[in-house]
Amino acid sequence: MASRPVPKIMKQGKFAPWFYLAPALILMFFFIVYPMFNTIGLSFRDSNGEGSAATLCKEEQACWGVFENYRYALTGEIDKTSISAAWKSFWISSFGNTIKWIFLMVSGTVIIGLLFAKLVDGIKHEGLAKAILFMPMAISFVGAGVIWKFVYNYGTQRVQIGILNAIITALGGEPVSFLTATGLNTIALVVVGTWMWTGFCMTILSSSLKSVPEEILEAARVDGANEWHVFTRIIIPIIMPTIIVVITTMVINVLKQFDIVYVMTGGNFHTDVIANRMYTEMYINYNTGRGTAIAVILIMAVLPFIYINIKRFMAQEEMR
Amino acid sequence: MKRDKINKFFSRIPKHIIILFVLVIWITPTLGLLITSLRPVQDINTSGWWMILKPRDDIASQQNLPKFTLNNYIDALVGYRGTRNYVSDCENGTAPLDMRCNAADILNPRGMIRALLNSLIVTIPATILPILFAAFAGYAFSWLDFKGRTLLFAILVGLQVVPLQMTMVPISRAYSTLGLNGTFLGVWLFHTGFGMPYAIYLMRNFLGSLPKDLFESAYLDGASHWTAFVQLAIPLAIPAIASLGIFQFLWVWNDLLVSLVFLGGTKPVITYQIANMVSSLGAGWHLLTAAAFLSMLLPIVVFFALQKYFVKGMLAGAVKG
Amino acid sequence: MKVKVFCLLAVFVFLLTACAPKSTEPEVVAEVDAMCMGAASGDEISMLYQWSGQEEERLNQILRPLVDTCGIVIKPESTRDQAVLDTRVTAGNPPDIAFWNVTQLNQYKDSLKAMDELGATKEAYIAGAIDPGVIDGRWIGLPVKSDIKTIIWYSPKNFEAAGYMVPTTWEELETLVEKMVADGKVPWSMGMESGDATGWTGSDFLQDILLVQQGPEYVMNIINGSVAYDDAGVKAAYELYGKWAADPKYTVGGAEGTLSTNFNDAILKVFSDPPEAYMVKQSGFAGGTITTQYPDFVFGEDYDFFVIPGAKGLQGGSDWMMAFSDKPAVKALVSYLSSPEGGAAWAKASFDLSPNKGAAGNYTDVSLIKKAEAFYSAEGFTPDIGDTIPGGFGSAEWTAIVNFLNGENLEDALSKAAGVQAEALGK
Repeated sequence: MASRPVPKIMKQGKFAPWFYLAPALILMFFFIVYPMFNTIGLSFRDSNGEGSAATLCKEEQACWGVFENYRYALTGEIDKTSISAAWKSFWISSFGNTIKWIFLMVSGTVIIGLLFAKLVDGIKHEGLAKAILFMPMAISFVGAGVIWKFVYNYGTQRVQIGILNAIITALGGEPVSFLTATGLNTIALVVVGTWMWTGFCMTILSSSLKSVPEEILEAARVDGANEWHVFTRIIIPIIMPTIIVVITTMVINVLKQFDIVYVMTGGNFHTDVIANRMYTEMYINYNTGRGTAIAVILIMAVLPFIYINIKRFMAQEEMR
Repeated sequence: MKRDKINKFFSRIPKHIIILFVLVIWITPTLGLLITSLRPVQDINTSGWWMILKPRDDIASQQNLPKFTLNNYIDALVGYRGTRNYVSDCENGTAPLDMRCNAADILNPRGMIRALLNSLIVTIPATILPILFAAFAGYAFSWLDFKGRTLLFAILVGLQVVPLQMTMVPISRAYSTLGLNGTFLGVWLFHTGFGMPYAIYLMRNFLGSLPKDLFESAYLDGASHWTAFVQLAIPLAIPAIASLGIFQFLWVWNDLLVSLVFLGGTKPVITYQIANMVSSLGAGWHLLTAAAFLSMLLPIVVFFALQKYFVKGMLAGAVKG
Repeated sequence: MKVKVFCLLAVFVFLLTACAPKSTEPEVVAEVDAMCMGAASGDEISMLYQWSGQEEERLNQILRPLVDTCGIVIKPESTRDQAVLDTRVTAGNPPDIAFWNVTQLNQYKDSLKAMDELGATKEAYIAGAIDPGVIDGRWIGLPVKSDIKTIIWYSPKNFEAAGYMVPTTWEELETLVEKMVADGKVPWSMGMESGDATGWTGSDFLQDILLVQQGPEYVMNIINGSVAYDDAGVKAAYELYGKWAADPKYTVGGAEGTLSTNFNDAILKVFSDPPEAYMVKQSGFAGGTITTQYPDFVFGEDYDFFVIPGAKGLQGGSDWMMAFSDKPAVKALVSYLSSPEGGAAWAKASFDLSPNKGAAGNYTDVSLIKKAEAFYSAEGFTPDIGDTIPGGFGSAEWTAIVNFLNGENLEDALSKAAGVQAEALGK
């Protein structure tokens, strides 16, 4: 850091920054860092947190010694009979599903959020339109579970009280069991997540769109750029930092989220995700060792995004 | 407005139709909840909510039921826990003992009004505190130089992913020692601590994107850091504060786990009361439709109230140009 | 009195205001002392349980005499999130009393107080009822609310209209099922969706089949691990269950219907007009689901149940009371609930069945009276396999059932569950 020139404003007394940081750092240390280290230790121990994890090993079976819980966490769901079976089982394991969640839900929420923010920008009832998109954020998970019951419900023969199956049967189709059909069910759950979180992305992206200076856009138009080019080549690069912030936030949200899966399928029918698996191991199976090992893997998964953010952090400071 | 020109492109595709299409998709599930909450429980499972206007073809004995009813709302509001509904129980004189069948029932501790108050007591400080501290820290990260700044920022990004469940046991243990279990203070601090990484992350990103000249010139005019923070950074950060405010508010408002573990059932918040309407085997979930809808109202109001500040972000942006 | 009752309810429903009744007439002092076990007026008991809504209302009714007499203040909390109880216990600030499942007795055995030291007597309970509550030789759980699971609900009207008779042997039941199918009618409604607990309806059904085909001893051997979960007997039970639960001719909606229909909705399918199915195997609580949807239904005419014929050793599930504290107020509560008065109060409140002998003869609800009859005349009970084996076997069992119905190979599904069973029991 020292080699980089610092703006004059950034020079100050040695202790001044720490006064600004102190409340935040103290709280974060007490509420996140300290408990985290307290808990990470458990991932090297057995299910009760008493013996070492190495004691869990069984003869004639693969064993990673003190990392035994990590072996379970990483390979427990994989079918090891053949490479193709392993590949197939990976994509319906909690890891494969989490990857699907990240790609589908993050791209879904960001793209829909950005386009919608752009489309409603300046229309007559902009506030109302945004509020409608935002509304699902305001619904607690208990409520959301009920709401989606009336969308995905699979009525057996007499009556469809799920609107999707009502539409399908009205068009002459066979009702679909959205939450039990492997593959389709994860997508059905991602749709719920996208429904809930698009409003979040839209809100942040919309205020960033509004801060793009009009002069720059005007200059581009004078140069003959059409509106699509203005949007993709000028607006998007300008708000890129915000987009990255939103993507980072969403990735973290998706990694942590387990409520939707927990409420709607409980991780059954191959819909498990990492966060739900952690919850199941910790509180349903009372296996703190395995639960915390999964939690540590979850934390590791965010490393690439830390890297992207640091790079952007540096770039932003170079530029200003 | 020049902005109209940008919109010209989009007006070539039928913009309003796309907007309407998205809105219909987004609103349909919620509309289903609203309509369901207005139906008698016996109807909910026997026909889809969109069939509400169609005459019943079901059991003859239920033909005399009204198609719409406010019973679910009334029962949820007064915290009715019987087997029929509050209104008919009161008419027949079979109301549970804690119901007095007059206006005083609205303040029944099991009803939603008290829970609403408790939720507000929890939510307001737990929204303001993290924003305040995050503004300080965000300013330090953006405009002060200190050793280990990048490293701390990296840790900050990473801390966002730490699952809540990992920290509950050690903190609950510490709270026992400190006597903070079951207090509002304990919940405020927990939400503040846990909301901190994201709040700082967002504040830093916003404050860091403000133009350097602004701070440089203030500095040259002899302003101290404190003055720059209070008079420049905070007013300019209003859009960021508004969006942070709404998200932190929602997160705390809709949280059940933290308030259950650290506050407990003795000071029930609204999510506790909602979850509590359904018995362990699923009876009474029709009340939940009404309660979930009621609990949504305040966050929506907050969203509308803060929306004008999102627009102010545009003005703030104009200042820097 | 009215003021007092209101006051007390106010306490119950979380008000912190102290309004404990103070008056104790001199002549009843001795009785009060016997009941209160030295608890002073104003003593608090913190409680955590999974009940809410109407269930909470009934519990309040049962505990009222204790609260009235001793002035004990009860501070209840209700949640179904196991994380809450687990966090409190692990962090060292558990509630005084928890009402939860038998799994938790195992999990927290080291922190729990012995029931006989708190003033409960084993003789107060019907034979076998407390056995699952004895862990490592210590009696640490009080079975408070029991339900029988080995029953089938049906509509007498629909049976009559179609000319079916209630079967009295397992063979008759199997014949009846085939007859219904031959008549083009769907015998079963099997829906098992239950969020994170999806599958329990199936595991209950399987255990009943095991009780019929193999007997209670076999089930107990699964629980202690001497019979592996992928044994031939278990496989046979799964095959029969699969035949019924995965075929749209036998169950509403076939495998998909079974997997994605909520267990409460499944109950109602037997009573809809026209009926989607003729029978649903579900625990005693189903009666409540039926009367909520059809308030005018009469037990014995519109809805009724029969005990699964041929099942040796009923499957009974209990909610257990466990004590993390041995203060006087807790002792008063334990001795009250295990006393004849406590049992009678439980029965009168219609809060399902009580294995307390004092409950017999005090039920007022017609369907509870019939359930109690089956309950007391049972030859014995077997606990739920999944609840009783510690360490996550419960969810492994549900996963096996769900995956089996969802098309997974039976051997694979069972061997995975057997692996968890072996690991949990240290075999």
